[in-house]
Amino acid sequence: MFGLIKTWKALEARGIMGINRRNADYVLKYNKRHLYPIVDDKIITKERALAAGIHVPEMYGVIETEKEIEKLDQIIGGRSDFVIKPAQGAGGDGILVIADRFEDRYRTVSGKIISHEEIEHQISSILTGLYSLGGHRDRALIEYRVTPDQIFKSISYEGVPDIRIIVLMGYPVMAMLRLPTRQSGGKANLHQGAIGVGVDLATGVTLRGTWLNNIISKHPDTTNAVDGVQLPNWDGFMKLAAGCYELCGLGYIGVDMVLDQEKGPLILELNARPGLNIQIANDCGLTQRTHAIEAHIEALAKDGVTEDAEQRVRVSQGLFGHVHPR
Amino acid sequence: MRSLTLHLKVLITVLVLLGVAVTAYQIFFLGIPVTEDETDDLWNIDAKVEFVASTKDPIKVQMFVPPLNRDYVSLNESFISNNYGVSVNRADGNRKVTWSARRASGNQTLYYRLVLTKRYTNDKNTIKGSTFRDSLAVEGPEKVAAEALMAPIRQHSADVETFVSETIKRVNNLNDDNVKLLLAGDTSSMKKAQVIDLLLSIAHVPMEKVHTIRLVADTPQTPELWLRSFNGNDWLYFNPDTGEQGLPNDRLLWWTGDDNLITVDGGKKANVTFSMNNSEMNAIRLAKLTDENTDADFLEYSLYGLPLQTQQTFMIMVMIPIGVLVILVLRNLIGLQTLGTFTPVLIALAFRETQLGFGIVLFTVITALGLSLRSYLEHLKLQMLPRLSVVLTFVVVLIAAISLFSHKLGLERGLSVALFPMVILTMTIERLSITWEERGGGHAMKVAIGTLFAASVAHLLMMVPELVYFVFTFPAVLLILVGFMLAMGRYRGYRLTELVRFKAFLKKADA
Repeated sequence: MFGLIKTWKALEARGIMGINRRNADYVLKYNKRHLYPIVDDKIITKERALAAGIHVPEMYGVIETEKEIEKLDQIIGGRSDFVIKPAQGAGGDGILVIADRFEDRYRTVSGKIISHEEIEHQISSILTGLYSLGGHRDRALIEYRVTPDQIFKSISYEGVPDIRIIVLMGYPVMAMLRLPTRQSGGKANLHQGAIGVGVDLATGVTLRGTWLNNIISKHPDTTNAVDGVQLPNWDGFMKLAAGCYELCGLGYIGVDMVLDQEKGPLILELNARPGLNIQIANDCGLTQRTHAIEAHIEALAKDGVTEDAEQRVRVSQGLFGHVHPR
Repeated sequence: MRSLTLHLKVLITVLVLLGVAVTAYQIFFLGIPVTEDETDDLWNIDAKVEFVASTKDPIKVQMFVPPLNRDYVSLNESFISNNYGVSVNRADGNRKVTWSARRASGNQTLYYRLVLTKRYTNDKNTIKGSTFRDSLAVEGPEKVAAEALMAPIRQHSADVETFVSETIKRVNNLNDDNVKLLLAGDTSSMKKAQVIDLLLSIAHVPMEKVHTIRLVADTPQTPELWLRSFNGNDWLYFNPDTGEQGLPNDRLLWWTGDDNLITVDGGKKANVTFSMNNSEMNAIRLAKLTDENTDADFLEYSLYGLPLQTQQTFMIMVMIPIGVLVILVLRNLIGLQTLGTFTPVLIALAFRETQLGFGIVLFTVITALGLSLRSYLEHLKLQMLPRLSVVLTFVVVLIAAISLFSHKLGLERGLSVALFPMVILTMTIERLSITWEERGGGHAMKVAIGTLFAASVAHLLMMVPELVYFVFTFPAVLLILVGFMLAMGRYRGYRLTELVRFKAFLKKADA
């Protein structure tokens, strides 16, 4: 019992945010319910992003009804690689990544050969809402397949590593690189076994990581060090993330981005309830950082000033950047 | 934000205060018992009056009956007598029944029956009594003896209470010559009381003889004599034989004064025998019974005013918030993962019909089979709605089969699965299978076990009879519950499981 109280006090002192605090003080406070569809539906997110001039993976087409599945060939056209996603999917489920095709068959990234019928069934499942939150009818999205930058080759196992930045009122608060592992099946979700690696907000250099709630510094599959890697185009990521506040209007979001070999930083999706493991990855609590940002916003409000994305990035980098791994 | 917090605090305070106030009002002001087990002793007292009537004269039997003005309430009182007229009248704080008949002969038997209980007397009667009286006339050697006794009593006492007990002690000292003289060889309680009365009267201390009946089941009784004196605020009771002060709780005051219990005109060999037995009764039912005698109107405006069947439904319904509270605590404070928020509560309700142990087994078996069917259907690539329908039908067939088998095996339990649990089962299977697909088998197992655990805890709590009774009787408790839930709505501390989840931080700090 006393051990628990001690743990509690220690976590509190380090500013570790719990689910209850995240929900009460951030998600409920900053995220208006009626704006949720913007982030829950990837198609809407994409449309908004395109309108705002924010880079996203190119959308090839949308399938809304069973009848429209016939149009699949037309949508794919001559492309040999593409991704099929449920618009309202959660946790990376229901995503089909086609890496190649020959004759009438397709090869997924993991090397599995599937037929055209199986793809059609997958789309049908997406439409009936199998992968959507709450089982509602859904739409299927066919889009550009991201090819991860070579930099991740040594520290990632299959799949596409992505970068998550938590953004509070447009100010990046904390960043993490998510690396798929064998266990996560190429997916970049931490609860499925992917690694989260903290990233210094100022420099884009990776810190140590978290895997299944433990602190690690090597990738379990490739055994290469995950810390000390310089992510390219870091300021681009930061600006992209900061700009998402204007895009969706939600005050507390997790922005998931990828680094494409050719197109650079792209926004994959936004999350209105970003997870808390990013704290373990950065070995740092969120609460102190969010409090600092809230204080900063309050000070600005007093002066009647607002800052644009670039200024906000600089504020965050000044406040939270240049952490020295302990 | 701050105004919101204030708003919430005010709301919580109002709700909790309201809940506490209403409940306190019910408990302390209306005197509704807090637990169902708080059954009250119900005393059934029979006084059998026997006498031999003389053929010539009209008959008039007068007997004291309990005045019932203090700690006891009569639930039912009856005077059983064939051809006698009955009237009850009060005089000097006593109650007297008069049976009268123009003509009767031979052995006569009359009954007086009283059903009474303690409690439900909230109105404390203002007690009246005099603190002074004149001395009884006494002459000659008795006067000398009495005065000789008085001197040390005066010396050894400080107030009415000590004076009376000192007097009783002296009178019970049978070796004292003065006492011997005054008692004149008669050492009965009655005679002693008479002497005590005399002595006290010399000191102008008021004294009354009190005749009590002891509430003990199945033992023959004769009225027991006690003395009481008024000290200005309250009556002080004394045992004339021992000087013991304070009337024990099991004594029922029957009448006061010097008169005999019974007087019979036109008859002889009057004899009264008491017999009593007790039974216990649920306090609320008792309150309803006393309805006519006391002001139990409040029951009209509680859930007890509903028809019995509706009451039973409400007994389940008022417990649902308790179940929800359990889930709330388990999820937000402990951090247990469950299947949805209210599914565990629904399962807990279903356990009502199946019993806990059997319910868990049944749920596990049916859910496991349902899940395997679900995963088989997965291969057939069916759409959601048809698939759900198949699962539901399968669950029905499964339950029918289980019922049939257990019936054949002589286990009536198997039949307990009713309509309600079946729908819950189907929903559970569907939701669990979605969880399985979305987050993997391990997580689904964790969630399933969490759900069963939460449901069991909720069920056990919802089945505690004391709690059911309490919430049903004091529904205002639900307001307090709402206050707690509101407070939980802005709780931002850690969940218990998070302390484990974030342990990595501490290891680092220690190293």
